[in-house]
Amino acid sequence: MAEGMIFDIQHYAVHDGPGIRTLVFFKGCPLRCLWCCNPESQNFGPELRRSAARCRACYACKDHCTSGAIREGQTGPLMDREACRVCKTWPCVEACPQGALAVMGRAMTAEDVAARVAADAAFYENSGGGVTFSGGEPFAQPEFLEDLLLRCKRLGIRSAVETCGHVPAQTLLELEPLIGLFLFDVKAVAPNLHERCTGASNELILQNLRALAERDASKIIVRVPLVPGYTDTEENLSAIASLTAALGIAQAELMPYHELGRDKYEGLGRPYPMAPQGPHPLSARIEAALRIFRERGVACEIGGE
Amino acid sequence: MLPNEPQDPTTELVTPQAFTPREVKSSPSTERSAFLKRRYLDAPLVVDLEYISLLTESHRRTDGMEVLERRAEDHAFALERLTPVIHAGDRIVANKTRFIRGAVPYLNYAAGPFLREIRKQEQDAQQKNIDQGQGGGIARAREEAGEKGYQVLSGKFLISDQDMECFKGLCEYWEDKCMMEVGDRLWKKEFPQARFIEDGWTINLYTAPHDPCPEGRLILDFETALSKGYRAIIEEISQKIAAFRPGGLKDGAKLHFWRGARRVLEGALRLAENYAAEAKRLAASEHDPARQKELLDIAETCRRVPALPPRTFREAVQSYWFTYILGHLEGAHLGFSPGRLDQILHPYFVRDEGVSWDEAVGWFEELFVKMTQVEYIASLSWQGLGHGNLYQNCILGGLDEHGSGADNETSLAILQAQINMQMTQPTLSVWYDDALSRPFLMKAAECVKTGVGYPAFFNLKTFVAHELAASGLGVETIRKHAAMGGCTEPVLGGMSYGVVQAGFVNHGKLMDLVMNDGADPVTGVRLFSPRPLETYEDVERSYLEKMRPAVRHWQQYWNYVMAAHRQTVPLVFCSAFVKDCIGRGRCMDDGGAVHNGTPTTLSSGLVNVANSLAVIKRLVFEEKACTLQELKAALDANWEGHEALRHKALSVPKWGNDDEFVDAIFLRLFEEYCGWVKGQENYLGKPYDPSMLAISTPVPFGKACAASAEGRRAGEPLADGVTSPYPGTDTQGPTAVVRSSLKVDHTKIRGGLLNLKFHPSSLRGDRGSSNLLALIKTYFDGPGFHVQFNVVDSAMLKDAQAHPEHYRDLVVRVAGFSAYWVEMSKALQDQVIWRTEHGL
Repeated sequence: MAEGMIFDIQHYAVHDGPGIRTLVFFKGCPLRCLWCCNPESQNFGPELRRSAARCRACYACKDHCTSGAIREGQTGPLMDREACRVCKTWPCVEACPQGALAVMGRAMTAEDVAARVAADAAFYENSGGGVTFSGGEPFAQPEFLEDLLLRCKRLGIRSAVETCGHVPAQTLLELEPLIGLFLFDVKAVAPNLHERCTGASNELILQNLRALAERDASKIIVRVPLVPGYTDTEENLSAIASLTAALGIAQAELMPYHELGRDKYEGLGRPYPMAPQGPHPLSARIEAALRIFRERGVACEIGGE
Repeated sequence: MLPNEPQDPTTELVTPQAFTPREVKSSPSTERSAFLKRRYLDAPLVVDLEYISLLTESHRRTDGMEVLERRAEDHAFALERLTPVIHAGDRIVANKTRFIRGAVPYLNYAAGPFLREIRKQEQDAQQKNIDQGQGGGIARAREEAGEKGYQVLSGKFLISDQDMECFKGLCEYWEDKCMMEVGDRLWKKEFPQARFIEDGWTINLYTAPHDPCPEGRLILDFETALSKGYRAIIEEISQKIAAFRPGGLKDGAKLHFWRGARRVLEGALRLAENYAAEAKRLAASEHDPARQKELLDIAETCRRVPALPPRTFREAVQSYWFTYILGHLEGAHLGFSPGRLDQILHPYFVRDEGVSWDEAVGWFEELFVKMTQVEYIASLSWQGLGHGNLYQNCILGGLDEHGSGADNETSLAILQAQINMQMTQPTLSVWYDDALSRPFLMKAAECVKTGVGYPAFFNLKTFVAHELAASGLGVETIRKHAAMGGCTEPVLGGMSYGVVQAGFVNHGKLMDLVMNDGADPVTGVRLFSPRPLETYEDVERSYLEKMRPAVRHWQQYWNYVMAAHRQTVPLVFCSAFVKDCIGRGRCMDDGGAVHNGTPTTLSSGLVNVANSLAVIKRLVFEEKACTLQELKAALDANWEGHEALRHKALSVPKWGNDDEFVDAIFLRLFEEYCGWVKGQENYLGKPYDPSMLAISTPVPFGKACAASAEGRRAGEPLADGVTSPYPGTDTQGPTAVVRSSLKVDHTKIRGGLLNLKFHPSSLRGDRGSSNLLALIKTYFDGPGFHVQFNVVDSAMLKDAQAHPEHYRDLVVRVAGFSAYWVEMSKALQDQVIWRTEHGL
């Protein structure tokens, strides 16, 4: 049976596909988007997260650490992430009296995940919902994803997948018949902009989007992050909107940038990659962005919230 | 000038300080409604002695009269003499008091607590645990008390210095005659467990004596009151008396009841005539022709109803209101409810071509202001528990007797009126069934999204199953009469005895006793002898061995009190409007109602017991992470210095996460409790019905409890309602809460609740409403019984920033991931507030 790395399962999710859904977050992503609000989704292995709000710097973690990865710092424990990575038992988590430490990511069997998903089957039935595999990048764990999709199909549960598109075309197209809805992220059309934002070229992504659209464009919702100074230029949005329309994709969702993931970066011991933005895209900017899509005949809403 | 004389309606309107609605915003539909609401918000709370003075005046003269006739005579005497006060702008007339926000002190129920307060001898023993709010009309009463020769009573009501003298005299008159004193003389002397009850109060095992405001969860038969009119009912009674020849054992009581009922209905008709005369008098001196016309309309309406059946919608509203408010006036009610207003008034709306839907909304807006203006004054402890809320619950929708969806245009008008007004009373509810129309359900969801906290949703299917067993009546009767008696206790409207119960049992305190060898760790009072706890089964058994007598003594104590109720304050006016009191010639206290199985035994804190037992089972007996003594030492220290153990306790699964380990414990306790409660007959000879609503008890009960094994610190609140998880412990989202809750057999209880909190973003738009309805449907297919929603808005988030201790369970579901509010940094909280305010 396939086993995969999951970092969260959220029930009663209502923003990622129709109806009431369960969101299954896969760990590990090929892209490194500057604005990512789920930094714990990026690495493929489990990693330790420390809540600064809970930590009282008692160093019980240090006393129990078997890898010598924790030392005393000025404001609390400092973690050597490389030393920490070799650990498989995390005695520090159990030892912390404040519950300030947690392991992000755990191996789960497809059977266990499917059971969690199936628990809410009645909610999907009554709301037209289902399961959404998100991440991270679900297609980066293809056997596991396939196993889950097949199990959900047998249970009569509709599946959606949110993808960054930076995945092997063959995997994507092979699994396509099992998937009812693609939430397909398109960040930028200009290659250099995309590379600057995500660390990777968008060639494969756009190629996959075209291939998928040729199969069945009605299954796709294009998702566009609105990130000030990066993706929210009229030029970029117009290019994405035109491409969407040209491929016959009828729906798009805009995801306004927010800094709500900032605390998580700190907890993972990483610097926050974006400069502070102040209070976020103004309603007028969002309206203008929506118009760019709607003018091209693409139904467009604010999504993901 | 009376302290809350109406003000000039042209002055600028002030927006009430409340949690601002997010997606759905609305305002009163007419200038009149806006004025009435503003006037209410500006009015101080006042004690009005007029009714109790008149009642007392009569009572002094009626000594020696048969008790039912005496009670009827005293109420009627007062009704005939109450000052008819028509406030500016009112179209619906009659109130319990002369003031906008006035309360009647029911000294005939309990004078002792007031006397104690006046004499400043001893403050209510539980006062230290009461937080009853400080703002709004309460602050206003306190301000004005300083200025105008007024004093403050029960912490928030204004009473003039003159009235205070009179009040003392009235209290002294009732001191030895009131229900409480008569009851106390009985049970304190004759009930072998009297000491247990009094010790129970000392250690907060029970809520304070309920005597000052015991009545309620009662719904009158408004259909009959309207469709027949009082005159026809009086005629019917007279014919019964004329045709009756007493012969049997209790036959004399029948005559007394009928004579009393006739007398009190005649008194009510005189009151309506007094209002007609007052309206006419005011019209004569009114300069504004529009208002003059309104006053003349009032006069005509009051000449017609409630004596005769209404011809128009407005007459129906006024007739309804007379029966409602005069029934309310008769007893010390909490949870005296409007019943199925959309069924009662709809026929009159349909028949009256002269009233549009918009106008009907306006009438309901006015009616709801009047309901909100009803206040009560009781001992401090009960005011604190109820937070001044009267629990008038108006339930909409449901089915007709044949099983078709009963929602209609009037249901929509009522929802719209409360969307517009957002008054605290009446609270709205929906009797849910799949047969209800989509527009009605979407309108109900819209009302939820105002953030006002209602309507609550109740599953009719579950109640029908409960009532088939409890009442023995047919399914058609149950469907037709199913209504909400108080906060979440359903009854059969117009044909059930109300739910007059002792109050709550504190299960958190029972757990304190388990952990401390049968003695209360806070006061040292011992209620049980020690018993060894060597296995987990011993611990669970110890709890059950304390729960059983605590519940049984409480039920039996209350039956003594209700014997005194029959002898002092039986409800005669209300009985005249409960089937089949007139037919049987018996008041409700004598079993006149068709359904007498409604009185409940209430409990609070069962979830905390289950969570604590789960921790003890796992940590002490399975994992052996600590001994029971070590756990006890941690609880004695309020977890100070035992952080690691507390963290372990917090990590043990808690109720509300669909976890078999703890859910199985909860289910066992639930079944035990329900079965045990039914083993005692109530004062009407039917089994007591288990109920697990909580109102505000989790706060004062929790305050009185020591630290508990689940990880709770001393003094922190308990969980609310039957199946709501303990704040902060539901980590798997609302669907897991629902799945846990569905393991309980909800048909076993009369009343219980589940609270869910949502961020407005998850309810936005028609799609959000549809998802909400799908959640309700899934829970009710289960079948669950009740669910209500708290929609978090930015004002609440700001409050959560200032008072994080009240929001430990607040999950903010925004922007692709969720977080516990209290664990977010201030900067992030600010961002969430900003985004919420901007509808992102």
